[in-house]
Amino acid sequence: MREDAQAAALGSLAGATPRRLHSLLEQCSVGEAFEAIVSDRIGVEVAPTEVLAEWRSELKAIDLGALSNGLDAAGARVSTLKDPTHPVQLLKDVDPAPLLFSCGSVPDPSLAHVAVIGTRRASSIGREVAREIGMGLAEAGVVVVSGLALGIDGEAHRGALLADGAPPLAVVGSGVDVVYPKRNRDLWAGVVAKGAVVSEAPLAAKPEPWRFPARNRLIAAFSDLVVVIESRASGGSLLTVEQALRRDVEVMAVPGSVRNSAAEGTNQLLVDGCAPARDVVDVLVALGLSQAERVNCRGCADADLGGSEPAEPGGTPGAGVHAKGAAVLDAIDDGPTSMDQVIDRSGLSVLEVYTHVEELVASGLVVHDGSRVRRHY
Amino acid sequence: MLASIPSSTLDGIDGSPVDVEVHVTNGLPAFTIVGLPDASCREARDRVRAAVESSDLSWPMQRITVNLAPTCVRKVGAGLDLPIGLGILAASEQIPLESLAGISAVGELGLDGSLRSVPGILPMVDVLKSDRVIVAAADAGVAALGAGDRVRPVRRLRDVVDVVSEGLPWPHVEPPTCIDEVADEPDLADVRGQTSARWALEIAAAGGHHLLLVGPPGGGKTMLARRLPGLLPDLSAEAARLVTRVHSAAAIRLPGTGLVRRPPFRAPHHSASMAALVGGGSGRVLPGEISVATEGVLFLDELGEFAPSVLDGLRQPLEEGVVRVARSGGMREHPANVLLVAAMNPCPCGEGGSVSCRCGPSARMRYSRRISGPVLDRLDVMVHVDRPSPTALLERQPGEPSSAVAERVARVRELALSRGARTNAALNREQLEDSAPLEPEATDVLHQALQDGRLSARGAMRVRAVARTIRDLDDAGSTLRASDVYSAIGFRVRPPMGSFDA
Repeated sequence: MREDAQAAALGSLAGATPRRLHSLLEQCSVGEAFEAIVSDRIGVEVAPTEVLAEWRSELKAIDLGALSNGLDAAGARVSTLKDPTHPVQLLKDVDPAPLLFSCGSVPDPSLAHVAVIGTRRASSIGREVAREIGMGLAEAGVVVVSGLALGIDGEAHRGALLADGAPPLAVVGSGVDVVYPKRNRDLWAGVVAKGAVVSEAPLAAKPEPWRFPARNRLIAAFSDLVVVIESRASGGSLLTVEQALRRDVEVMAVPGSVRNSAAEGTNQLLVDGCAPARDVVDVLVALGLSQAERVNCRGCADADLGGSEPAEPGGTPGAGVHAKGAAVLDAIDDGPTSMDQVIDRSGLSVLEVYTHVEELVASGLVVHDGSRVRRHY
Repeated sequence: MLASIPSSTLDGIDGSPVDVEVHVTNGLPAFTIVGLPDASCREARDRVRAAVESSDLSWPMQRITVNLAPTCVRKVGAGLDLPIGLGILAASEQIPLESLAGISAVGELGLDGSLRSVPGILPMVDVLKSDRVIVAAADAGVAALGAGDRVRPVRRLRDVVDVVSEGLPWPHVEPPTCIDEVADEPDLADVRGQTSARWALEIAAAGGHHLLLVGPPGGGKTMLARRLPGLLPDLSAEAARLVTRVHSAAAIRLPGTGLVRRPPFRAPHHSASMAALVGGGSGRVLPGEISVATEGVLFLDELGEFAPSVLDGLRQPLEEGVVRVARSGGMREHPANVLLVAAMNPCPCGEGGSVSCRCGPSARMRYSRRISGPVLDRLDVMVHVDRPSPTALLERQPGEPSSAVAERVARVRELALSRGARTNAALNREQLEDSAPLEPEATDVLHQALQDGRLSARGAMRVRAVARTIRDLDDAGSTLRASDVYSAIGFRVRPPMGSFDA
């Protein structure tokens, strides 16, 4: 445990950048490094002398017992690059992370890892897609890597937890004992129980904005593939994409409506040449995990489409949807549609429209949030 | 000499009898009023003196003591001016003492001896049992509602003296001219577009279901809400009397005829305090907006901006139809049978649900959390009010007029009365079982919605009541069909508002 506390102490030093820690820990073990700093036996190739002097005074003042208790209380542990448990992806990385705090058990590196990321201010469709892809990937045995943020990140993990599949991995910008955002507390606990929450930030570190680019780099480093669900024209997700491209990690983007400002970034990615991810099958195919299924799946999707398209001349309406219901469904867009628009377009009476919309909601074809309705697939 | 005249004062929305005893005796000239008068009551001494002198009568240069009995009740307002003046004139033998037998009086005196109206005249004359009740001419119409032909309206103090001492007949007072209340109400015909909001309004009016209007600013929420009273039937005789009493007590201008016949519409600003909304105040308990709006419409615009504690204060009154305000001086029960109409934006920027919304998810969640679940749960009908499309705005054809809708509303309200409730919304569980049986498919629909978590158990009951109203508006069939239940669920309030942001 003493080793753990010493590692945590090194990780919490001011100015202990991954690069400095790496050159320090490459030379010696955690214990040796700790002693060497305290007794001033570290060369300037690790850090400038004034930084080293500061580290020395910090380490002399540090209470290792309290740190060790803190780790225990948070259920956290620290691994460094020489530990056999240190994630191997981080060692081979262009910006290796020599020291990592974790809660839970870090998923097996031999499993495929896919980052599912996107904007915090996602549309409801984006959130649904994130959940579905997260669930599909976990079911297929793929580790879903994400940042546990609001919006897409959180939904991807929610989906992954719903599936009885591969463990999820969350890379966060705060200390592993600081739940942020607080609203995701249950999700956080779920990820720790089934997979792991990891961070480079020391315990009790606040989610300061400057920590997030480093967090995004770790997400890219952990992943074999990055899927962006929705991203605004400029956003943190695009920083992760840059990190992924630096590492030659393939990036896929989910196409969005051209009117959806939450999808501007992803649509731009598609224009720039990213492969589109329409659903989880596209992602699995890109990973090489699924090929035959793709064909089958497209086949049944086509059959479904034909079945539920009641406006098709001569086509049979979907099961359970009668003529007026079909007319109402026909008047509803994929995007949010106001009830008055549905009434105008369908030419039915108000009560008929309310009746049939609710009927369609009950059969899961339409979503109604009290303000607007839209189709649901 | 001693004179005693019955009068009354206002306590909440009720009158409380007061005996005004005046004692005039020899001694140093002085004037004292005892018996818990409030400030405006104590100032009577200066008004009465000036009024007596302006009426060509003389002020006794003697010791005058006025006692307002019972002494334990706090006396408020200037309504006791007239009985005090008459008492002094009788006790100083300027008018015969016996001429005041069988006379009670309520009214404020002006310095010129004229008589002014006082708030709360209706509840005050209600408790006066004497043969003749003297009130200000301006109060004649309202007072007649309480005391009928016992009311003797007069214009000035001198008139009373002429009648009781000279034996002149009571002066004739012209009844005030009537104002047509209905003409003042805005009409639904002015509304363009808003197809579903019109229906929601009709359902709310017909069934007495509380209504929530959600939509961007400028969509017409306030305009629609103001048209709701116009859809409601005239007040019943009993309700009209009650509303008039409350309005009289709250010093709200009454229509010329005195009786409030149309349902009131109250729209308090969102800065309203708890006391302003449910009633209260120190000393005298005044009826709050919810009581003033009783039997009518209480419109809370910008629901999200009201203090959450104030909104939660409405829960019990909305449930029971009465509000009990307890103060150190005792508890007052005021009526609170309102049709609540609330309006709010879907999110802080107001554009929620459309592409131009600029609010983050946490801002939106904070906004929707401002209104507690129990308050939302009491709103049975929700409708989204969008800005009408340009084509609808330029439409020349007027919409259906309020009068046509009001006819349907009145029919449904009568059906509710025949079921033993004020409105369909007030039907209790047993009454719903009797009067709103469900077809098997309709039961399935409710079960499914309960199972999917789209409805709570309480929500299912409310949906049934709304479905009853929807069916009543349609063909009044006795058994509810699946389609009625579906429509009712469609109008049900759902909490995560504006969750579609693109």
